[in-house]
Amino acid sequence: MSEKNVTAPMKRHMGLRTSRAIGNSLIYALLICISIIWLVPFVCIVLQSFRVELKGPVGYVIPKQWGFDNYVALFQTDFPRWYTNTFISALVTAMLQTIIVLCMSYTLSRFRFKMRKPLMRFMLILGMFPGMLTMIILYRVLKDLGMTQANAVPGLILVYIASSGMGYYVSKGFFDTIPKSLDEAARVDGATRFQVLKKIILPLSKPIVIYTILTAFMGPWGDYVFAQYISFGTSSGMNVAVGMYRWLNKDQIANSYTMFCAGGVLVAIPVTVLFLCLQKYYVEGVTGGAVKG
Amino acid sequence: MKKFLAVLMAAMMMFTMIGTAGATSLAGTYDITVWVAENAVELTKTQIENFNQTNELGIVFNATVEAVSEADAATQMITDVEAGGDLFCFAQDQFARLVQAGALAKLGVKAAETVSAANTAGVVAAATAGDTLYAYPLTADNGYFMYYDKTVVKEESLDSLEAIIADCEAAQKYFAFEMQTSAWYLASFFFATGCVSDWTMDAEGKNFESVHDTFNSPEGLIAVKGMKKLVDSPFHLSSSSGSEFASGAAVVVTGTWDYTNVQGILGDNMGVTDLPSFEVDGQQYHLGSFNGCKLMGVKPQVDAVKAAALHQLAQYLTGEQCQLERFEELAWGPSNLNAQASDAVQANPGLVALNAQAPYSTPQGQIHGSWWDIAKVIGDDVKAATDEAGLQAALDNYYDKIAALFKLDNNALLFVGAWNGWNNADEADTYYFKDGSLTLDVPESDYMGGRIVNPGKWDSDKGFAQVVSGTELVKDLGVEANPDNNIVFAEAGNYTVTINGTEITIVKN
Amino acid sequence: MKTYTDLEYLKLSKGQKLLYKISRFFCSIPQKIIGLFAALWNLIKKGCSLVKNEAVDIWSTFVNGDWKTKVSFLVMGFGNLARGQILRGLLFLLFEVVFIGYMILSGGYWLSMLPTLGTKGPEEVYDFVLDAYYTVYNDNSFKILLYGVLTIFFIIAFIYTWRVNVRQNKLAEQILAKGKKLKSGKDDLRSLVDDQFHKTLMALPLTGILIFTVMPIVFMILVAFTNYDGAHDGYYSNLFGWVGLDNFNTMLNWNVNSGGSVQSYAATFGEVLSWTLMWAFFATFTNYFLGMFVAMAINKKGINLKKLWRTVLVMTIAIPQFISLLYVSKMFAKNGIINGFLMNMGWIDQALPFWEDPTWARITVIITNIWIGIPYLMLITTGILMNIPADLYESARIDGANPWQQYTKITLPYMLFVTGPYLLTSFTGNMNNFNVIYLLTGGAPTNPAASSAAGTVGYTDLLITWLFKITQGAESQYYLASVVGILVFVVVALISLIVYNVLPSIKNEEDFQ
Repeated sequence: MSEKNVTAPMKRHMGLRTSRAIGNSLIYALLICISIIWLVPFVCIVLQSFRVELKGPVGYVIPKQWGFDNYVALFQTDFPRWYTNTFISALVTAMLQTIIVLCMSYTLSRFRFKMRKPLMRFMLILGMFPGMLTMIILYRVLKDLGMTQANAVPGLILVYIASSGMGYYVSKGFFDTIPKSLDEAARVDGATRFQVLKKIILPLSKPIVIYTILTAFMGPWGDYVFAQYISFGTSSGMNVAVGMYRWLNKDQIANSYTMFCAGGVLVAIPVTVLFLCLQKYYVEGVTGGAVKG
Repeated sequence: MKKFLAVLMAAMMMFTMIGTAGATSLAGTYDITVWVAENAVELTKTQIENFNQTNELGIVFNATVEAVSEADAATQMITDVEAGGDLFCFAQDQFARLVQAGALAKLGVKAAETVSAANTAGVVAAATAGDTLYAYPLTADNGYFMYYDKTVVKEESLDSLEAIIADCEAAQKYFAFEMQTSAWYLASFFFATGCVSDWTMDAEGKNFESVHDTFNSPEGLIAVKGMKKLVDSPFHLSSSSGSEFASGAAVVVTGTWDYTNVQGILGDNMGVTDLPSFEVDGQQYHLGSFNGCKLMGVKPQVDAVKAAALHQLAQYLTGEQCQLERFEELAWGPSNLNAQASDAVQANPGLVALNAQAPYSTPQGQIHGSWWDIAKVIGDDVKAATDEAGLQAALDNYYDKIAALFKLDNNALLFVGAWNGWNNADEADTYYFKDGSLTLDVPESDYMGGRIVNPGKWDSDKGFAQVVSGTELVKDLGVEANPDNNIVFAEAGNYTVTINGTEITIVKN
Repeated sequence: MKTYTDLEYLKLSKGQKLLYKISRFFCSIPQKIIGLFAALWNLIKKGCSLVKNEAVDIWSTFVNGDWKTKVSFLVMGFGNLARGQILRGLLFLLFEVVFIGYMILSGGYWLSMLPTLGTKGPEEVYDFVLDAYYTVYNDNSFKILLYGVLTIFFIIAFIYTWRVNVRQNKLAEQILAKGKKLKSGKDDLRSLVDDQFHKTLMALPLTGILIFTVMPIVFMILVAFTNYDGAHDGYYSNLFGWVGLDNFNTMLNWNVNSGGSVQSYAATFGEVLSWTLMWAFFATFTNYFLGMFVAMAINKKGINLKKLWRTVLVMTIAIPQFISLLYVSKMFAKNGIINGFLMNMGWIDQALPFWEDPTWARITVIITNIWIGIPYLMLITTGILMNIPADLYESARIDGANPWQQYTKITLPYMLFVTGPYLLTSFTGNMNNFNVIYLLTGGAPTNPAASSAAGTVGYTDLLITWLFKITQGAESQYYLASVVGILVFVVVALISLIVYNVLPSIKNEEDFQ
């Protein structure tokens, strides 16, 4: 065995290895950069929330005096009420919206009836109208139903779930990937459509159910424009976004900006925790469905 | 016959009303909602409680006090009057919108008399639309002046805009003056050179009839030249928040409401003073300001008794005692004459600075709601301009938009008074107005002529010679008419021009 | 335009094929428009014949039917009841009673007021004794329009139900004539979880959509033909009424504001639209490619801590935008921490105009949007990337393809094929991306020429934020906003139509099953 014979393949191998190592370290560097960029705003918000010396916005990041004052101050405002409102509406919306979306998408995926195609096309067209303007009408309707101001929470839930049937794309895409032969086999065995849904489809649909719950749960936390209409200046009917947004008003910001940041941290907690726990299902649901709508 | 019936009906209605209302007293319990600024919530609750205990009419209010900022209140009220607060506070610039939206109840005769007597003339005018008082003055401190950091801005620089900018740039600190997003602050430069934008409402107070606007004039050009110096500085910041001192600002132009905030940030280094002067072509112009107020309005009620009770409360809450309480707790400058005279108010440093600025300030009358949107873009336009032509274009643009405001109405007319010099548009006095009347001061000059045209037909390059319409409007008052003129005044003086459809009558007052 | 035969077409390169398809599409537009009219005409003809057939059918049912059927024409459900279908009969009857009751009690009023939208506005009355003004409110244009529309919906529903009722009588007669048994109430209920299960499942969602989406949209479209604004809110200030096509004239006429330098709304619309399209394009594709890139980087063999990287990115999704975006907007301010940092490092000596300069502001919003969008795209593409069969890469590698070639030959085509529909929805979604623009810039910096009495327009304003600003402006011109809303719809629909015709993968949904 002469040395020559060995080195050629070895060299190639080494070359590949070093180039992969270089590539990987480049990627690591990139990922670290990205992580820093993505985390900066959050770190800043968290740091601001512990600032004690000044309550308005400032030009530096690291507080000079640390403390929990802002969190304590939060609980002397209506914040707990807003938080509860948002939490309740997010929870109820998540449940009801999931049921509605699953009903709709399952039907459109599995049944073939006369109006199916026109219905889907119709909903697609409906989705192209900007929803911004319809809010004022919905506000009036809810007002006539007595679901505004102090009673804003049921009103908000109603509006969040009422049109959620139009968001069937992702889960329909997911159901489409479940083979139809499963249903047919069960039908041959004498199961009703309802039993097919309950016994066969749902157990297979865990990712999409969780995905739907997760997205439905997240919506109410960030809703500002519509929630503002519905609560209409009544503090007890506000959600976190509307309530906290007022702290940024010109005459208020100097006294409550750090409190806003503290509130923001508290608002982010439930969604972040949920998201981190259920990330896996989210990915499965979204890849199963989103791309095939 | 019809007229007679109508009169009869009206008379009958009056009698029935007196019959039914006469028996009622105001005593009773009322559920109401009150909208005030966030920091005034607790104080307002206490004040309403005091009212419940002290009023002699037996009125008890069961009040829900909500924090709705003065900026949001008007928008909310306009969206849905019914759901709005029974009493609500708002800044003066929202007044006209609120009246148009039917969101303000008129004051009764007695209440109007009391309010007019107790408050400064400026704030009473601010709450008046047409001939009617629509709101209660709450504060009179809605003006702005200059806060500065003593370690950055030198004592001797304080009178000169240029020197202050230089100080800021040298220290790499910001000069905050809200030029790009607010007509309220931006008007400061125009007032400095004597420009005006005076709007007149009809007697009902629901519509704007006419405007006398001189922003587009040689003086206006001087104003934007001054503004250009400021906005071109890399250390100019378009903001009016006192908090900017914590983020690198050395000067902030804002009002009394930021006093405690700025003091908290700067401590002993805080200085307050009137606005500086700027120099154009060797001449100094002291920056002006708006001098406005905050108002409290009563939402129109369907129940006369509740309306009367609410007006009692509004009168109490905006009275001398409550204004003084608000001054002590929140440092809101009172509009009540007696409250203003108190020693504590006189000595308040924020108000002192405001008073120093007072000689240069313009009372903020009734201004068309759209004016704020139209005027606020001047700042960005000026910033983008590269030469004098660009600055002039910014003014032309502004002017044309004001014209367009009226142009949308077919019955709008434009009066161009050319007594300062012929064929020189910049020196003409221009008034827009709709059906109704317009009062003019015609000064003594060689050309006491003018013309009324429909702005829609009037080409915007101000080509005086291009006017073709208006011949039917000629009202020759005796002097040989210029062919382009349709009105020529025989003598100087004050005239009332009234338009009714196509007919024009001109009467000397 | 040259037309290729199939054989010639197959010889073309990929890019040429796409170009060919696109140009074919545009060439076929006139034809398609003619086709559209033809289809419309056919639809009308079909509709006419349908109505005729229905009328004939109803008439023959009446003439040939027995007395039970005849009574059912007046009293809905009578036939069902008489023939023993109690449940159906009662439902029909109940519906008729509710309908008639509603029409008498209020529906008739709303309908009769609809042509005028009210005639008597509010009146302010002075009470001499109390020395106070109070207001007598009368007609309410808003409610008339709202409930008028609802009533029309209800009438349509009633006519449809009545028709079903008539048809059921005919069917029942036929079934009985054959000597078969009619379905009982129990059968009906059972079929609701079986044959007719789709009706059960969709009843609630569709009702919700009808009341909370369709009805408001109809209302919104109608508002475009009225003068509804802050000073004519229909109840408290003044009534509003029908104005015909005036608002469309205001919005679409290039000459409407043309006194001097004042821009017409049509020109403003054009400006805002072009930026909206530009924004949607960049926002969609920067996110798409960068998101894919990040996903590939994280998924690459030999990269550890995959979960950590993903988690960091996913944080942006989890924190509500009104908090994170507001903070980011402050970070980029002239005296924000980014400028402060750069100046402290001595890299710049005066602040960068992130939000002040139009071009800077546009680029900054697109970059910030990448920050928001990459995590979503990372999640979506992660799953798809893992679905690509590994042996494809294996064989490519054996053939000596470098990573770039693997990407362009395998990954990208696969991704584009699978995510085509997603790209379209995200493009139209970005066109209406209210939150990002509203929270970041609020439209700033302002565009002085385009701003008008209807509100300020900024260089970063999208159509949707402009529309919102119009409703919030000094005059709250809802009618103008609703015209803009309709135009937004037209634009979005047009784009979707074009993309649908170019992208093959969207058209056939059955392909995926």
